[in-house]
Amino acid sequence: MSLIDSMSMAKPNLKTRSKILAKLRGRDLVNCFQCIKCTSGCTALKLLELEPHEIEKLVNLGLVDELVSSDIIWTCVTCLKCVQRCPQKASPYHVIIALRNLAVEREAKIPEEFMKKVSQILETGLAESMQKVTTRKMETCDRESLKLPKLAGPKESFQAAFMKALEER
Amino acid sequence: MFQTGLQLATRMTRIGVYVCHCGLNIAGTVDVEKVAEYAKTLPDIVVAKHYTYMCSEPGQRMIQDDIKALKLDRIVIATCSPRMHEETFRKAVAEAGLNPYLLEIVNLREHVSWPHSEEPEKATEKAKALVRMGVARVKLLEPLEKRRVSIFKDVLVVGGGIAGIQASLDLANAGFKVYLVEKAPSIGGRMAQLDKTFPTLDCSACILTPKMVDVAKHPNVTLLTNSEVESVKGFVGNYEVAIVKKPRYVDGDKCVGCELCTKVCPVKVPDKFNERLGKTRAISIYSSHAVPKVATIDPDFCLRLKTKKKDVCGKCAQACEAKAINFEQQPETVQLKIGGVIIAVGSEVFDASRMPEYGYGRFPNVISNIEFERISDASGPTNGKILSPNTGQPPRTVVFVQCVGSRDKRFHEYCCRVGCMVSLKQAILVREKMGRDVNIYVCFNDLRSFGKGYEEFYRRARDLDINFVAGIPSDVRMASDGSLYFDVFERGTSKLLEMHSDMVVLANGLVPSSDITEINKLFHASRSADGFLLEAHPKLRPLECSTAGIFLAGACQGPKDIPDTVAQASGAAAKAMDLLASGEIELEPLKAVVDEDLCSGCRVCESLCPFSAIEMKRETKIDEEKLRAEVIEAMCQGCGLCSAACPTGAIKIQQYSNKQVLAQVDAALAETKGGN
Repeated sequence: MSLIDSMSMAKPNLKTRSKILAKLRGRDLVNCFQCIKCTSGCTALKLLELEPHEIEKLVNLGLVDELVSSDIIWTCVTCLKCVQRCPQKASPYHVIIALRNLAVEREAKIPEEFMKKVSQILETGLAESMQKVTTRKMETCDRESLKLPKLAGPKESFQAAFMKALEER
Repeated sequence: MFQTGLQLATRMTRIGVYVCHCGLNIAGTVDVEKVAEYAKTLPDIVVAKHYTYMCSEPGQRMIQDDIKALKLDRIVIATCSPRMHEETFRKAVAEAGLNPYLLEIVNLREHVSWPHSEEPEKATEKAKALVRMGVARVKLLEPLEKRRVSIFKDVLVVGGGIAGIQASLDLANAGFKVYLVEKAPSIGGRMAQLDKTFPTLDCSACILTPKMVDVAKHPNVTLLTNSEVESVKGFVGNYEVAIVKKPRYVDGDKCVGCELCTKVCPVKVPDKFNERLGKTRAISIYSSHAVPKVATIDPDFCLRLKTKKKDVCGKCAQACEAKAINFEQQPETVQLKIGGVIIAVGSEVFDASRMPEYGYGRFPNVISNIEFERISDASGPTNGKILSPNTGQPPRTVVFVQCVGSRDKRFHEYCCRVGCMVSLKQAILVREKMGRDVNIYVCFNDLRSFGKGYEEFYRRARDLDINFVAGIPSDVRMASDGSLYFDVFERGTSKLLEMHSDMVVLANGLVPSSDITEINKLFHASRSADGFLLEAHPKLRPLECSTAGIFLAGACQGPKDIPDTVAQASGAAAKAMDLLASGEIELEPLKAVVDEDLCSGCRVCESLCPFSAIEMKRETKIDEEKLRAEVIEAMCQGCGLCSAACPTGAIKIQQYSNKQVLAQVDAALAETKGGN
């Protein structure tokens, strides 16, 4: 073995690393030279301590096992600023999404909110749930009070396609 | 001449004073208007003006118009350092019909505004005093003429690496005769040892060898390999140089390079060309593409030459069909008369054993970048296979460590300029030769890929899955199996990484050649603080020494890669052509002159002169024989050491006689009149 993280005693997992690179269709999106511009502008950094440049480097070094099971990859708010600003056209965002997909595959612990979202899409076909609205006259309305027709659930074919897409990732 | 000076000094002079603003460089601190007004109060001043940029075309024209209209015969210009624009203004006053040496420059920038920017009022007073001194001196200046002397046109090129080869070819193609001197038995230098070259990965030998052959065959080039410069006499345009051809103990004209002798020689010798990674014999040809391809016997190892007995060994002489072996060969001295010199002695690679933290020299798997070149080169000791020097097996993990001996105040403070690119290239070579399975890491400080195509090369390295670790190891250790391990704190991830590797390649920097001390003495070529040769001006005269007629090419002036070396070599060749093409040179008249009657022949000046510009002549006058100092005008640099030391005041520097200097001193001590 060529390298060990002395703190956690983690070793590079080159198999997982190649899996991630396969998901990213090559090395272009991890071709990072550590200018750290992504982290300087990261929306999730201040509250959630996400450091996109570190994720790029860890994937390059193959120190991915810890990363896949960590909470940090779920803190990205997908604002895509890192993708826009990267001088090397790398993309921490795409790497994070690839890591999340890997986490799902491995059935690692995934934050509850994400799972709720998935089941909601499966059930309703919508990314956001139906919400009540308050008017300027302080009246609360929903579809029913506005006499709008009930929304039909998604077709079975959608659910099948969605499940299939999930598995393919 | 002195009489003329006295006549001029006693005559009424008409002086013009011109104060330059230098934008805000001077005017931002010094009240230039006040200085000009003050100048008007001094005696013999006909006109005093100030202007934004005196060196500009309108500034120069203003002075020229005044010289003609007001019949000025002396000019004082208060401006930047005379090193900067004295020549410009001399030309300008000469165009207006005045002798260019009746001009005095007062330095208001380097001597006043820049050092005293915090105290503008005092600075203005100092400026006034300096102008007053300049005016006092300018009255006593004498008109001088430049002299033209004829020169030799041949050029000596010292060092047969790519810089020397390129400069020689350029000069030879332009019709100049060139003597190319190389210390080693073959030309080619450092570049001949390299495998591939960045950023194009073309093979070093493939692009160098044709040039080596061209220069050796060129009718205008005389190749002197296995030779060294012994002595240099003379001055720009008129050098007399002695070159010693060390004995090869092989007749170069007879040897056909068949290497039969090498096959029979019983003495194994570390191979210098292969960085001592392999062995050659006591009689050998320097490298597989040596030019000239002639065998050389190493007298430190050859049994016959060591024992000096006629019956010992002699196997090479028996094997040689051409009868080229000559154990009696003696050193031979060649005398040359040349006009200019191009120094291209190159650099050496830092010796990493001085840094115990990396274990170079103790751990066989820690190698230097130049050793890697030989390992990777097809003509090297492993035939181009990358193998661990310890086990002879291909390494599974290769780590490159940057900035070894460079950017390190304990050794060399400068950046070596090539280490990053060399490691990138070598990392790419490892990937190309050994495939996907080998782990490659580069531990770097800052990765500097500044040249044309270099950043793209860095990207290519990352594309090839070469890993960059932002951090430099502090202790490389060796495990019992010979493999290496060390910790690196990685800046990007803030993790302490423990790395294991079976080959560590150190990016050793380039350091001044050990020959530079000798070159410094032989050619009066100064060195900069980093130990390399010093150029005359870091920006505007990068290709020449401050000693006239000596030019610099390649890494002897500072670490350089091949593109920069070749560019500088062609530039130095062009500068040499510029100097020598006309067959004559112009000499500055600001030299030492000897008053024959006063000279007592004490030889103090001769012993002091740093340029060997004084010769003692014996002459007979009527009834007595007398020793007298004579100045070799072309060698004198006008430094004034002799004049200061002369006990009788016989030797003077033109324009710096006691009278001229003391007039300035008097003016400096005089009370300020008016103005303020």
